[in-house]
Amino acid sequence: MVETFLAFIGRNLFLVFGLMAVGGALALVFSKNAVHSVVGFLFSMLSVAGCYLCMSAEFLAVAQLLVYAGGIVVLFLFVVMLVEMTKFKEKGLFQSQTPYALVAVAIGAAAIVGVFVSTWFTKSADVALTLDPGLARGLDVAKENSQAVSRGLFAGYLLPFEILSVILLVALVGAVTLAKKERV
Amino acid sequence: MASMNTVLFISFLLFSAGVAGVLVRRNALVILMCVELMLNAANLNLVAFARHAGTVAGQAFALLVMGLAAAEVAIGLALVVALYRRKDTIQVDQINLLRG
Repeated sequence: MVETFLAFIGRNLFLVFGLMAVGGALALVFSKNAVHSVVGFLFSMLSVAGCYLCMSAEFLAVAQLLVYAGGIVVLFLFVVMLVEMTKFKEKGLFQSQTPYALVAVAIGAAAIVGVFVSTWFTKSADVALTLDPGLARGLDVAKENSQAVSRGLFAGYLLPFEILSVILLVALVGAVTLAKKERV
Repeated sequence: MASMNTVLFISFLLFSAGVAGVLVRRNALVILMCVELMLNAANLNLVAFARHAGTVAGQAFALLVMGLAAAEVAIGLALVVALYRRKDTIQVDQINLLRG
């Protein structure tokens, strides 16, 4: 009994991590306390890293852990502590246009769910996410993940990478300028 | 191994949670976190399609998106702090300076 359950979990590890991520996201959206929201966000990001591991994108999973759990969540926590939530009155958790917004989200979600339902039971839906060796062109993306990613990044997409570094510099200077106290 | 539809469905759920959070919540910090959630859903799709095609381009793009998300968070949090200094609030419906 336990063994079959564990085997089921092992076969559907991606689904488990994905549902954990969705649970964290729901906790983020619907919790009253901002710190609880940050904890839900952290949980969701860790689960997404697990999803990356299940798709054998190991480098991306570690990068997700470092960037999100190590950097972004800490930044959010800093600002949550910095901003005294008790100083201003919270009129309510949700905005006044919430019913209209929920109707809009429901319409969009229903459209996408319709697409899913119409494709779920077709043949192509059962195709597992496996590598086609003819397409990999000598690179084993799954086995040597970081080598493959670095080759793709530095050989194929060098210009976007460099532009990203400039964007990071601009964001750094902009953040300092925005958050500085006195205007020069 | 998960099928394509599972990945797409999980990513869709994450994205719609993010959209609902951006549209519904008043707290600017929670709205920023929901934007991050949407970016992560897109990243999940990129990785899944990269794995499906057997190329590495999707993973490289996901890495770039991750860096861009970090920059966006820095700017957004600086805006929130500046807003809190000026207006003593981070409720987005109380910030109506540009109302005609």
